[in-house]
Amino acid sequence: MTWWCAATGQPWSWAWRAYPGVWLFIGLLALLYWRFGRTTGGTGSRWFAAGLVLLWLALDWPLGALGGYLASAHTGQYILIALAAPPLLLLGLRDRAAQAGAGAARWLRTLAGPVPAFLGYNLIMLGTHVPEVVDGLMVSQLGSFAIDLLWLIGGLMLWWPVVAPPALQRLSPPLAMAYLFIQTIPAIFPAAFLVFADYPLYRLYELAPRVSEGYTPRYDHQVAGLLMKIVGDPVVWIGIGVVFFRWANAERRKDLAAAGR
Amino acid sequence: MKRVWVMTLAALSGCQGKAGPELAGDLSGFALPEATARPAFSLTTLAGDSFDFRARTAGRLTLLFFGYTNCPDVCPATMANIGAVTNRLPSAERREFDVIFVTTDPDRDTPERLGPWLAKFDREIIGLTGSAAQLEAAQRAAGITVAFRDDSTGNYNVFHAAQVLVYSPDDSAHVMYPFGTRQAEWGADLPKLLTRWSGR
Repeated sequence: MTWWCAATGQPWSWAWRAYPGVWLFIGLLALLYWRFGRTTGGTGSRWFAAGLVLLWLALDWPLGALGGYLASAHTGQYILIALAAPPLLLLGLRDRAAQAGAGAARWLRTLAGPVPAFLGYNLIMLGTHVPEVVDGLMVSQLGSFAIDLLWLIGGLMLWWPVVAPPALQRLSPPLAMAYLFIQTIPAIFPAAFLVFADYPLYRLYELAPRVSEGYTPRYDHQVAGLLMKIVGDPVVWIGIGVVFFRWANAERRKDLAAAGR
Repeated sequence: MKRVWVMTLAALSGCQGKAGPELAGDLSGFALPEATARPAFSLTTLAGDSFDFRARTAGRLTLLFFGYTNCPDVCPATMANIGAVTNRLPSAERREFDVIFVTTDPDRDTPERLGPWLAKFDREIIGLTGSAAQLEAAQRAAGITVAFRDDSTGNYNVFHAAQVLVYSPDDSAHVMYPFGTRQAEWGADLPKLLTRWSGR
């Protein structure tokens, strides 16, 4: 039984395969949320469910399985797990975090600081793109799970300073926008290596059985690097846009209130 | 899809030393315990002409690989990695050596199939075929285990040696490259192989 998607070295097949470990993982997150994370009223449950769906799409067949064959699929997983799903999951937990006791609130506020978030996310992002790490971990289910889990943790760290409830936030809207923009900069390095390297970086994807004859490892690596910036960055820019419009609306309401006084 | 079984070089006598294969100095390939002479065998080109391997490649760096086009993993990856490097070489440098692919599946690898398949990797790769007896003789001459089918029906797989044999300009093989040799390794080694053991 294969529990988690990993690089098997077996010829690729489009035949569906079951990965019960993924279902258990998603089910466990849903259970924990239902038991501890949800609050009555509000839209938190919907946000959390949307985040879980994205996470499931990233981890299960076919994208999860393709992540063992193609660097570009691996990057697609990264975008969903580290960039797209975490803000939705955190929006689902936002109200519960706002109700946290003093002790919990203290470390949630600490984590909402830009420095730990920047360091935490980027150490994970850069570390999990080192060729030796990818080649070494992706060949086992446990190693592949570790990478996926690290991406999720990194993504939660990335988004928390922006999504945290107002009482726990340490960044004003302009700083939050600047923070998100700065977070997109370090990914330039792995993306550039993927796009411009003379030869494929990852042994795993260079030697993996072909999914499509014309899709060479070098092309696959280049697509992976481009996806990281062309698709990954806009996901963060959406966050910047949301912060901007919420800020603008808040300012407008303030102005209206002042004018009506 | 059926699982593919491919024999690796480790199973071959040429690289079974007590301490295991060793890298050939600054090359990424493995040193052979003893240099082996360029083999003599005769096959057929995709154009239908006779090809005397020893005579036609004498004095030239020659990369020799046995495989088949329906191979789902080793053959396309090996040829793609070699082709990714040879396609980048200046044409003058590319003309200094030969890459030869010998099919181990002559029934399915017709010239019409093999030619376009090889051209995807490098248009200069020489494809060879022959009768079952000729192909077996070629593999024996090259000192590798003779390929065989896993069954004779349907979409069968072919067990075959997975290494690239490298014959130097001195008409001997000193080094071989197992499956898993990367593009960067070929890129670094091909220029060295052109002059190594050449008297240049």
